Amino acid sequence: MPSLAKVVLPTGILMAALAVLPMFSSGYHVSFTIQVFMWIALAGSWNIISGLTGYVSFGHVAFFGVGAYTSALLITKAGWHWLPAGLAGCGPAALLALLIGYPCLRLKGPYFAIAMLGLNEVVRALVSYFEGLTGGGSGISLPPINATVPVYYAMGATALAVVVTTYLIINSRFGLRLISIREDEIAAETMGIDTARMKLYAFLISAAFPGIVGGFYAWYASHIEPMGVFPLITTITMIIMCLFGGAGTVLGPVIGATLLSIMQELVWARFLFVHQAIFGALIIGVVLLMPRGILGVARQYFRLPRTV
Amino acid sequence: MVHITGTMVLQVVVSGLLVGGLYALVALGLSLVFGVMRVINIAHGTFLMLGAYVTYWLFALAGLNPFLSILISVPVLFVVGALIQRLFVFRVVNAPELSSLLLTFGISILLANLAMLAWTSDYRSVEFLTGSFIVKNIAISKPRSIAFALALAITAIAFLFLHRTKIGKAIRATSQNREVAEVCGINVRRIDLITFGLGAALAGAGGSLVSVMFAVYPEMGQVYVFKSFLVIVLGGAGNYPGAFFGGLLLGVIEGLSSLFLTAQLTEVVSYVLLVALLLLRPQGLLGGRT
Repeated sequence: MPSLAKVVLPTGILMAALAVLPMFSSGYHVSFTIQVFMWIALAGSWNIISGLTGYVSFGHVAFFGVGAYTSALLITKAGWHWLPAGLAGCGPAALLALLIGYPCLRLKGPYFAIAMLGLNEVVRALVSYFEGLTGGGSGISLPPINATVPVYYAMGATALAVVVTTYLIINSRFGLRLISIREDEIAAETMGIDTARMKLYAFLISAAFPGIVGGFYAWYASHIEPMGVFPLITTITMIIMCLFGGAGTVLGPVIGATLLSIMQELVWARFLFVHQAIFGALIIGVVLLMPRGILGVARQYFRLPRTV
Repeated sequence: MVHITGTMVLQVVVSGLLVGGLYALVALGLSLVFGVMRVINIAHGTFLMLGAYVTYWLFALAGLNPFLSILISVPVLFVVGALIQRLFVFRVVNAPELSSLLLTFGISILLANLAMLAWTSDYRSVEFLTGSFIVKNIAISKPRSIAFALALAITAIAFLFLHRTKIGKAIRATSQNREVAEVCGINVRRIDLITFGLGAALAGAGGSLVSVMFAVYPEMGQVYVFKSFLVIVLGGAGNYPGAFFGGLLLGVIEGLSSLFLTAQLTEVVSYVLLVALLLLRPQGLLGGRT
């Protein structure tokens, strides 16, 4: 059991600090923290399908983009308030995941990864094609946003929801089933696990959250267009943050997203063009040298519970 | 809406077949590597991009005939591929699929961005041999038909190599059963090296041929991993002749969908095709071994 002094107290202090941060700090810190929350939620979502089951999603940004378009349309065309509109982003994202996941996750092997590799381009092409609804290449402009603090709490709550969901999954029979698929799918099947169904459930959960994040992002950014909400680099960033922190763990994506966001802000923002090349090199390095991420390295030196 | 005539349909079918020969060539490389190492090389399209740049620079700087430059892009990419195998990929050959997918994904991002840093992301073109042959109202682009013929020839050479030479037989044996191949005295590590080099070389040859048809830029390779995979699925996994017809089929389907829909939706059509195929006939349209 997590001890009060070691776990609950520091977590509580951290949460309280984050909750009151907007009252004491500048707009810059708030907007930076929104970014961190966003990446925690995105990296954490990727972790639920890829970190837990081992099925790599190369197109997770598609769910983010679909969520962004959903909420932008609900706000501008249907006059919804941004909060329910953002939350509604999860619906179409999960639906898209069902359409792709059902055929591809029934099969073992690389089918899913390749299908996800193509998904982003396809969704972007469709969004650009249906100009009447989506504004085509010029995108959708939303009403300017007058306060970022509500978005701060919404994004923070989403990040927290992803972390709590991951914790609950990892500590459930469902989570054990997913991990057994990652370790040995055929053995898992032999033990009576309906692997196709489990993978599909994990994928739906993993796609729903980026839909919500995208939904809030649309409101926060005030303007969305196909190139802006479907960039490959978003998927790359999610993957590297999750791997760097430790895939398949609860806190790995949180650590990875926080550290890499800070590094991105301090160092790489100045080397815009080298940035992606560094991410590529980082993925190679992490996969070969520390496949279990920072948490995996920490595990060698400290006694950590299985479920962090 | 433009009225679509029979000639137009025939025209896109012919151009589609010509591009399809190229798809088949590129897909052969991906499927060879997957067969031997069970690694889907996400960097395959990046190798194609490098091949295209080899041709572009030899053409732009030395004025070398782009079709002749295949003789250079093939060995260059073989070395690049073998080096990458030796440095990185060999470490994940027996690892879970996640590792090899992510590793080759990282390699593709790194190489594509290094290419962008070195050569900028400008679109470049190899303007060589423009114009078409006209056969009964149908224009057959000259560069495309030569590229098709060369793609066919290279595919045929690769087949002969795989079936007639000792190394080729060892490659096929390893892809059929790695353990048994090893027991029979085949050095599978060496076969991995050669196969990965060969896969990259085929992508490089494809890149040289692509460069005379389409623009050359650092991200041009991205779509080819997906297309090659679709070609393999169309033909049935592990079925090399099937993959050849799969390539032609994909070229024709793309041509027809750009005629009947719009060019914008071509990729959507091939994507829907892949998903539908995985849903209904995962063993491949042309009935491969499963």
